[in-house]
Order: sequence, then C-alpha cells, then structure tokens
Amino acid sequence: MTAYSKEVLRDLAAGQLPWPQTRRIMSAYKDDDRFFKMVAVYQDRVAWKDPILLPVSDHLFICQSGDERITRCECGHSFGDYRKNWKLKAAIHVRNTEEALREIYPNSDIPDPQWMEIREFICPRCGTLHEVEAAAPGYPIVHDFEPDLEGFYRDWLGKPL
Amino acid sequence: MLDKPASALRLRERLLDSERLMEETGCYDGITELSLRNQDPLKFETLHTKLRAYCVSAREMARRISASPGVREVGEMVVAIYTPEGDAIALSNGIMVHVHTMSRFIKWMIKNNYEENPRIREGDIFANNDAFIGTVQVPDVMDVVPIFHEGTLVGWAGAVCHELEAGGITPGGDVCLAQERFTEGLFVCAEKIGENDEIRRDYVIRCERNLRMPIYWVLDEKAKVASCIDMRESVKQLISEIGLDYWMKVSKEFIEEGRRAQLARTRQLTVPGIYRGHTFYGHVTAGKPGFQLLGDPDWLYNIPIEMEITTDGKITMDFEGTQPWGYHSMNCTPAGMDGGMFVTLTQHMNFEGLVNDGAWMATELKLPHGTWTNPDNEMVATATSWALLLPAYGVFQRLLSRGFIARGFVEEAFVGQVNSPMIEMGGESQYGTPFGMAHFECAAAGSGALAIADGLDTAYVGWNPESDMGNIEVWEQSMPMVYIGRSIVPNSGGAGKYRGGCSFVSTWLINKTSHLRLHTSEHSSRVFDNGGLCGGYPAPTCQKHRAVRNSNIHELAAKGAPLAHAPGIDPHVSDYEKNIGGDHVVVEGPYITSPHKSGDIFSHSYNGGGGYGDVLERDPIKTAWDVENGFLTREASENVFGIILKDDADGYPLADIDATVKRRAEMRKARLAKAIPVADWIAAERGRVEQADFAPEVKKMYASAIKLSQRFTRDFSDFWNVDARSIFMPGAKP
Repeated sequence: MTAYSKEVLRDLAAGQLPWPQTRRIMSAYKDDDRFFKMVAVYQDRVAWKDPILLPVSDHLFICQSGDERITRCECGHSFGDYRKNWKLKAAIHVRNTEEALREIYPNSDIPDPQWMEIREFICPRCGTLHEVEAAAPGYPIVHDFEPDLEGFYRDWLGKPL
Repeated sequence: MLDKPASALRLRERLLDSERLMEETGCYDGITELSLRNQDPLKFETLHTKLRAYCVSAREMARRISASPGVREVGEMVVAIYTPEGDAIALSNGIMVHVHTMSRFIKWMIKNNYEENPRIREGDIFANNDAFIGTVQVPDVMDVVPIFHEGTLVGWAGAVCHELEAGGITPGGDVCLAQERFTEGLFVCAEKIGENDEIRRDYVIRCERNLRMPIYWVLDEKAKVASCIDMRESVKQLISEIGLDYWMKVSKEFIEEGRRAQLARTRQLTVPGIYRGHTFYGHVTAGKPGFQLLGDPDWLYNIPIEMEITTDGKITMDFEGTQPWGYHSMNCTPAGMDGGMFVTLTQHMNFEGLVNDGAWMATELKLPHGTWTNPDNEMVATATSWALLLPAYGVFQRLLSRGFIARGFVEEAFVGQVNSPMIEMGGESQYGTPFGMAHFECAAAGSGALAIADGLDTAYVGWNPESDMGNIEVWEQSMPMVYIGRSIVPNSGGAGKYRGGCSFVSTWLINKTSHLRLHTSEHSSRVFDNGGLCGGYPAPTCQKHRAVRNSNIHELAAKGAPLAHAPGIDPHVSDYEKNIGGDHVVVEGPYITSPHKSGDIFSHSYNGGGGYGDVLERDPIKTAWDVENGFLTREASENVFGIILKDDADGYPLADIDATVKRRAEMRKARLAKAIPVADWIAAERGRVEQADFAPEVKKMYASAIKLSQRFTRDFSDFWNVDARSIFMPGAKP
C-alpha cells in the first residue's frame, strides 16, 4: 500500500514539495491512510485544541468543540454549526463597480457590474479571504458544501465520530 | 448471469434486455460477479490493455490520413470500441467527450429498428452529427462500423473528428449566428454512408456541394473509416484467439468493472454530501449584424449545480434552476451533457484502471426538461453548446475539488475548466479559392490553479486532455492571415495564492484576400465564467476584440517604424491605437462584422483559469519570476497581491520581503475595514431585491429560472425572505 510520512504530506499541502516528487504522488496509487494523516498535519498547523473532523477549505475546518461540531477558521474564529452556511457568519466585501473590479483586474476585460459582482467572504477576526463568489446581483449566497459527516466516518472511514 | 453467449436475439431486444438487467440488479448487463476477472486477472487486464492499444494505434493512424490541421495538429479526434448494444468498452485518448455520445448514436439506431431498415450488415458505415441523436454539435461528425463474427454482430468500432467546416450560415463549425437548427450546416442524421467498407459516392457529392472546404470533411471520413476498420479487424483477430463466448462475456465485464471502479474511486477520493456551485454565461448580440429577431438579443444564463455524493459512491449532478433553451446556438442536448460528464470524469477521477462507459453508469445527470441542458424542442440550435456546457463542467471540477480537499488529496484539487473562445473564418483564401475553417489554437488556453501550484499557462482546455495549439506555420498555410504577434496576456489567470494559468492573445495581419469573414463564439460577455476556489478570484473575461481596418501597417513596416504586436496592458487605449493608423474597432463578445481585406489587423484572446487561495498568501519570489516573464505586471504584484518588488543590479525584479510583509498587513487591515457582516449586507440588499432593481437581463434571468423551477423559487424566496414570484413574475398565476 502506498503511504507517505506526515512530513511529506505537510510539505505537499504547503506547496513546498519538489515538483518531481509531487508529480510522482499524483501519478501513483492513492494512499489509503491519507485522510487521518492529513488531518494530523492540519491539527499541527492550528493553535487551538478542538479535534479537526474534516477540512472544508484552505483555512476552514469542521471540528469538535465540546458537544458541538462547528466550522472554524484556522485563526480560531467560529462560524457556528457546521450544518449551517458558514458564509452567513462571515464578513463580506462586494465589488460591484468598475473601480472596485479594476483593483483586482488592472488590465483585463472585466464584467459589467450591472450583470455580475464579486463577493469576498472574509474571516472577521484574521481577515483571511476564505471564498470568492462571482454572482449576478441579487443571487442568493450559496452554501458550498454540506458533508455527510456521519456517513463518511461510519461507512467510508470505518470509525465512529 | 454471465453465461450469455453471443445472442441470436435481435439487437433491439438485446439492448432492452441489457437495460432491464441493469435496472433489476444495479449491475451492467446483470453482471453481479466479475467471474472472468476473478478466474484470471492477468488475462483480463492484458486483454483490456490490448483493446486500448488498438484504439490508440487506430487514432494515430487516422491523424496521419486526415487533411485537417484540427485533427492532425491538435488531435481533435477520438475512437472507441463498443458492445453490440453500443456501450463503450475501450477508448483512445483525444476528445473523450464523444465516447458516450457515440454510444447514444449506436443505441438510437438500434432502437429505431435499423436492423430492419436500412439494415446493419458487414462492411456498412454509419455516420451522424445530429446532437439529438448523439453528438455535441454539427462539426462533431461520428462514424461507426459494425463488427461481425460468423454472421453475428459482436460489437462496433467508432470514430469522431471535429470538422473545421460544417457548411453553416457562417463558415467554420461553431456557428455563432445559428439561432435554429436550420442554419447550423450539413446534418447527417444517423445515415448509412457506406457499404462494403467504402464511403458512398453520393454521400461524398453531398459533402462536396454543401461545404466550403469539403477536403477536411471528406478526408476525415476516410481517416475515421480507416481507423474503424483497423479496430474492427484487430477485434476480429482477438476473437479468433480468445473465442467468441469469452469476448462477449469479457467485453461486458470490462464495463461492469469500470462502473465499480468509478464508485470505488469516488469513495476513495471524496467525501459524501451535498456540494453546490454556480456559474454564469453572458451572451451579447444586440445590434450585431445577421441575428434574426427570434428572441431577446442579450442573454444572461444562470447555471446552478447541486451535486450529491451518496455513501455508495454514486455522483448525481442536478441542474435544476438553470435557464430555458433559447433562439441561439448555445443550447445543449443530453448527449452533449453526458459527454461533458464523461470527459470530466476521465480527466479528474477515472484516470487509471478500465476507463469506459462504466464510469458514466456510476453517475446520474438530472437535466430539467425545457432547459438548455435538455431542450423540449428538437429544432433548437446547438452549434456553440460548449458555451454553456463547458462553464457548467468547470463548476463540476470545482465541486469535485472540494471533495478532494476534504479528503486530504490536495494534489488532485484543480480549479479547472476554461471556456476558450473560438475563432472561425471563411471567404476567399490566400490561394484565391473558397474556404472556411475553424482555428484551434484555442485548445491551449490557461487552466485554473491547483491547490498546491499555479495553473497551466497556455496549455489546457477542458474538452481535450491532450491540449495543443498546433504550429503557427501550419495554421498560416490554411488561412489568409499571418501572425504579427502572439503573446502571453499578463494577469489573465485568476489571482490567488496560486494563480490561474495565463492565456494568450494572437494578432494577425489579413493577407492576400479581398474577402475574409471572421467570426468568434463561446465568448462570455459581461460576466465571469471561470470561478476561483478557496478565496481565489475568477479569471478575467476576454470578450473584447480589437481590429484595425484600412491600416497603414505596410507603410509603417516599409519605414521601419515601430509596430504593435499585441493590445498591451492599457485597458482603455490599445497599443494598436498608439502605433498603427487606420479605423480602430473594439467589439464586445461574438465578433461578427462585415468582411475584412488585406491590410486589416485583428486580435483575438483566450481565457485564463481561476485562482486558488487568498492572494495575500502568494509567494513573493515566484511572483518576481512571474513579473520578469510577463505573466503578472508590477502593478498587479503590488496592488492585488501586496508583493513589493525592487530591481536587482541587472534590473530584474526582486521581491522585497520586508516591504511585502508591511504592505500585506496594511491590505489585510484595509480588507477588514471595508468588509461588513453578511447579515448586514443581506438586510441592506433586500430592498434592492424587493424592488427588482436589476438590469433587464438580470431580471429576465430570475423570471425564467423561477418559471421553470420551484426549488429555485423557494431557495430565492427563503434566502431573501421575499415572494420571488410576485417580484419577478407579477401577475403570473400562482
């Protein structure tokens, strides 16, 4: 069975593994022990002690916090119950003018702000930009991911939560 | 269930029987046990490897027969081997989107009693390019030949080439002007076009009299038939070695194995649950010449996707809430949607083991009737179906990537697809002959970022994993234009910790012609269609064309004066305007104007991909390299990424780490200062929603989605706490 050390996976996740080695990992059979090792890599990265149950984004994790399971930023900020859309508890900056869009797209063709805006979802504590939605004005904020956490652990990982 | 020899049943009964068995057992053709694989796995695997080798070899041979630079240079072709019922067993590399669309074509013939009329006999050749039978668009012309063993049909060999000219209302194949089926070009509707291994002369005459450049189509037919015959003979030889019964059993076990492998792959790489995403597509035709007044001229398409992965590993993609079909060329058929699913799966998940129709069987598409994904009218045009199809599957790639990230396989996360606009042309060639062709340098656009690295620059396109733009010199031989510039477009990848791959722009001098029509399609105007992931920004759009008519470029060249070879980085005044005299034109979206002539200049750019991660985490060292090499500008480095550059002793950019840390701290602070709680934004925005204070196209988009989808209506109403129907469809019956 293919397996990698936690150090290798740490460097892989950080984009710091040499490309030939990364390429070999991409092409090889997948390592069956990846999930828990990667969770351990992330657990080392965060300063808080709540056990990570699932990574959901670059700096967002579902973790066990007492009796609750919450979505938590790497900085520790809680976005509440993991079954609810974390974006609704975030801070938002909307780019819906040419001037605001030009800050990100200085020389390129950009959308008509009457047709489309950019919504930046930001951690209100650390300022990390967690997600960017491009949507027509008035479009509801999307709930990106509702993992079946129970089913995942029970049926795929074979371990109780 | 395996003991089914080559059946004497008619094909139609065999197909219905196979579908019934799948329904009853959940397994392909009722194969509940992979007995041949279990008996001798090495023989099993070796046989499939042989079949795949037959396919790859046949495709490579065909590429050398083809006259089309699209097939020869870029590889816009695929071949596959099928069961008698039309399920793909093995396939080549290439435009794999068509493996399952060919399956639909074969099944369509079987279900429409082709055994009776026109009959299916040894040596017959059948062709199709009708998307409602099984393809994506008219230029995707597919040929299949039956494989017989001692009088019994035991399989099919099939091949598809994307033709550069399809005889539509505008030259090329992605006919931007098509608003109904009747303007898309030469349709071949599941026809028998050859007998005794020979293409019928009357069919060739029809092609010669209905196409601007029949040499592409006709020689590609010969290439496809040659590849099919090659595969057919190889399979017949194989059957003589392994026996017919073994072939009939093992070919179906391959598919069931493929189905199980896809389910296992999903369970291995992802996390079960509900994934959601959306993209948009804008199409602007108001005031453009040639468009009939059949519908509204400007369109905004909303493409929401809900993907469910169940604990058994099945992936279901639901397009409910998307838009109705329209009088434009961007509609798709279920065959095309299947094709998009197939090519995405084969690139992103099912890239090892037995890749075949089994992967498709482990998934489900929910395509709401009456939408662009499943039109309830077979008269609609599908000439540029990639315009909507590709962004949709870009969302699919991002949804899958969320699963890969959650599971820890960060190296597989890929922001994905681009919708790269295509340029086509026709008129009088540089040789003084009639011509028409599509230019396929679009097959090497920028990809989205990965979760661990930047995207691919000018090296990716979603529909063909072997992305290749071909050689400039070869394209120049085929069109009355010469390159005076081709360059990277700086900042064309979406910004992020890892940026999207950059695109390129080509600039041509129209040459040795007095009549050149230039048309483009698949431009998403006014909206982003390549999203980012995990904080990465969408890639910019690329909807503007720039042309100079009656230029003075020859006089400038004679004087040795500076020329412009690219639009430059000033968004308001191009380098053409700064350096070249003449009538300067800027056109948004699809380019359709009066013909050009020698001495005119034209530029066309392609898409980059979306970014991944927070821009303030981008590597300053890598960014200095990007600036040095023209992928990013200094302005973007500082203002978008917060990376301060200084010059080294030789004048090359060097990252100033201390200044960067300071700048980024300021930007983060400013970001927090500008942001407001989402709850406050919703409260403030609700008034605008209640007033439907949106552009007419946005209002129309909401109204049409609400008309078609109760779920979209409910979700919209619940989110804003409003009655969406009364806002966007006032007076409509409840």
